[in-house]
Amino acid sequence: MSDDKSGSGVGRRDFLKGAAVGAASVTALASGAAESVPTAPVPGAETAAGGAKKDKADRTIARPGSDFMVDVIKTLGIDFVAANPGSSFRSLHESLVNYGTNSKPELITCLHEESSVAIAHGYAKAAGKPMAVMVHGTVGLQHASMAIYNAWCDRVPVMIFAGNGVDASTRRPGTEWYHSVQDPAAIVRDFVKWDDQPASLQHFAESAVRAYKIATTTPKEPVLVVAELDLQERAVDPHEKLMIPPLSLSIPSQGDGAALDEAARLLVAAKSPLIIADRAARDQEGVRRLIAFAEALQAPVIDLGARMNFPNTHHLQQNGARSELIREADVVLFLEVADPWGQLNTVTDPFHETRRIGREDVKTISLSFSDVYLKSNYQDFQRFMAVNLAITGDVQASLPDFAERVRRASGAGHKAVMAERAARFRKAHDQALSRVRKAAAVGWDLAPVTTARLSAEVYDVIKAEPWSLVVSDRLSWPRQLWPTTQFHQMLGGSGGQGVGFSLPGAIGAALANKQKGLLSVTFQPDGDALYAPGVLWTAAHHKIPLLMIMHNNRGYYQEVMHLQRMASLHNRPTDRALIGNEIDHPAVDFAKLAQSFGVWAEGPVTDPRALGAALRRALAVVKSGAPALVDVICQAR
Amino acid sequence: MHARLIAATLAAMLSAPIAHAADAGDAADAGGSAAGASGTAAIEHGRQLFIANTCYSCHGTAGQGAERTGPRLAPNPFPLVAFVMQLRQPRGVMPRYPKQFLSDADVADIHAYLSSVPASPPAESISLLDNFKPQP
Repeated sequence: MSDDKSGSGVGRRDFLKGAAVGAASVTALASGAAESVPTAPVPGAETAAGGAKKDKADRTIARPGSDFMVDVIKTLGIDFVAANPGSSFRSLHESLVNYGTNSKPELITCLHEESSVAIAHGYAKAAGKPMAVMVHGTVGLQHASMAIYNAWCDRVPVMIFAGNGVDASTRRPGTEWYHSVQDPAAIVRDFVKWDDQPASLQHFAESAVRAYKIATTTPKEPVLVVAELDLQERAVDPHEKLMIPPLSLSIPSQGDGAALDEAARLLVAAKSPLIIADRAARDQEGVRRLIAFAEALQAPVIDLGARMNFPNTHHLQQNGARSELIREADVVLFLEVADPWGQLNTVTDPFHETRRIGREDVKTISLSFSDVYLKSNYQDFQRFMAVNLAITGDVQASLPDFAERVRRASGAGHKAVMAERAARFRKAHDQALSRVRKAAAVGWDLAPVTTARLSAEVYDVIKAEPWSLVVSDRLSWPRQLWPTTQFHQMLGGSGGQGVGFSLPGAIGAALANKQKGLLSVTFQPDGDALYAPGVLWTAAHHKIPLLMIMHNNRGYYQEVMHLQRMASLHNRPTDRALIGNEIDHPAVDFAKLAQSFGVWAEGPVTDPRALGAALRRALAVVKSGAPALVDVICQAR
Repeated sequence: MHARLIAATLAAMLSAPIAHAADAGDAADAGGSAAGASGTAAIEHGRQLFIANTCYSCHGTAGQGAERTGPRLAPNPFPLVAFVMQLRQPRGVMPRYPKQFLSDADVADIHAYLSSVPASPPAESISLLDNFKPQP
């Protein structure tokens, strides 16, 4: 045997030394030597009780705390959990996919925590119930924070579980310290409704159930429960009696009867009553109730669009005459309106002059929860407006009783008034629609494509489908033109106007709509898509069918407008307003971008005549169960 | 007086019937420039100014208007004298375009460009818009 030259690391001399030691050991054992024989350590073995080394195989934890957490989550009826993976919730993640079999809830893999929460936000509006999100308690929550704020402003429930390791003595050096915090919720406490940091598994169970209940009680909002790392990873004490409280959802409360009576009298006596609705309806039943209420008065309705509150095919939907109706109204009823002051007043830009839109002597009634629950720091509560009658109550719950009180307050003489109003508003409604159609025709053949043409082309392709415009506040044309009668057809916007919501929010809503057999459609702004475009991969990976039509104007045109105003204010030319605002030179190829994430895509389409065929190809893909994107180069607005 | 003149001309413009469809590619001679290069050159110069000054961002590349930002300017823009007044002393939130940044000749060329924009097809002739007729 020669000295090892093979690189195995054992030379001749070492081999012989080892053999001598081994021989000595055997001799000692054979002779019954009392002294213990040193043994070479076995890699990976640890010391068990009594001093003997123990294998990893003997240290498994058959029932980690995170399994119990999954038991809790399953009782809440949560179908999906969105997450970008993180070590602070690794045990919960593993329990979900193995112990929980990755089913109800199913894990939705996201590439950014902002996407996780925005998906949950869009999902909740379409599904009518929340889904969950898992995030790192530090860096994950930081990423997620804008999306949580959007959901807060939009009054949408999201269940957030944040992983964190509060015990410093068990933290591994380095990253785990960067990813640990004393109070995880502090960064988002101003815009979650409730949060807790459970110290035991029983505490976790009670807090998770309570959190779900609070999130889904009007006003609905995001909530956060910390999933403590040690609680996740330690074994459940077999002697500990754990109990998961049953979930009992709060029944929405209606407005006070006497107050509704007074409101009914005011509205019936009004010469020009007006109803303004924002987040009035929760579902199609809410839409039906508002129709019945409005018809009891034959009062016009302005639907501000945070939800689909009132069909635009109904003669009383008078969005087209909004300014005129507000100017003339002698009684205005606000139904869960986020900004009543802003309906009757404005502040001009850029000189900040306050202007009154409504009558000085208008009587105002509000039915909402805005006086019951709000927070101070973030100013989403809008400007204060004193109202004549402020009724606290859930709009949808209150409407049947409210309508009945209106009917009782209406005398025989009121029938003629209502008949006249109905005829007048029917005519006005048809005339408004005719004006919108004429306006849509202007620039019909232009390139870049007008948003009116884009909207009309898309509708023609989807009109026979059970469509749902999952983010409905980006273009104004669909809400004006597309015949809309169902709650699910227009799901509103981001709430907080935090840009970057549209793409993941649409995907989340489409996830819910998939289970209902609805066709999800969205007009996708280019700037919004670029915040976290990786969510396109999530849509492809989870086979979420969604028809995405880019409103690609190659820039942030709201900000172009602001720069123009500032240049004018500063007495400077406006011809540099694209600097810092354009998304061009080079132009982003959204079709290639989407394709790189596994999404079928075509474009850019520049000729409006090519739209119909491209949209039909994309629709075929969506109907097969996958997302599809058509990039269209559009006018700025 | 100034405000009333603008209001009257704007009202006249908005109530005027839209002309029947012409060939979309036909950039006719505007014939309305008060100053500056005449004919096609003025129209093209006006178009370049309209884009460079980001007028299109609110009014659309052909002055067709946009729902939440700028009203329709074309086809049939209101008279040049009122157009100049609106640019120099705008009503509403529109930025101001003083002479030092847009000369009278520049404004005339922009007006010539907008005057050259052909009429769009009428809504009644567009089959896709039949999807949005009032329901019985």
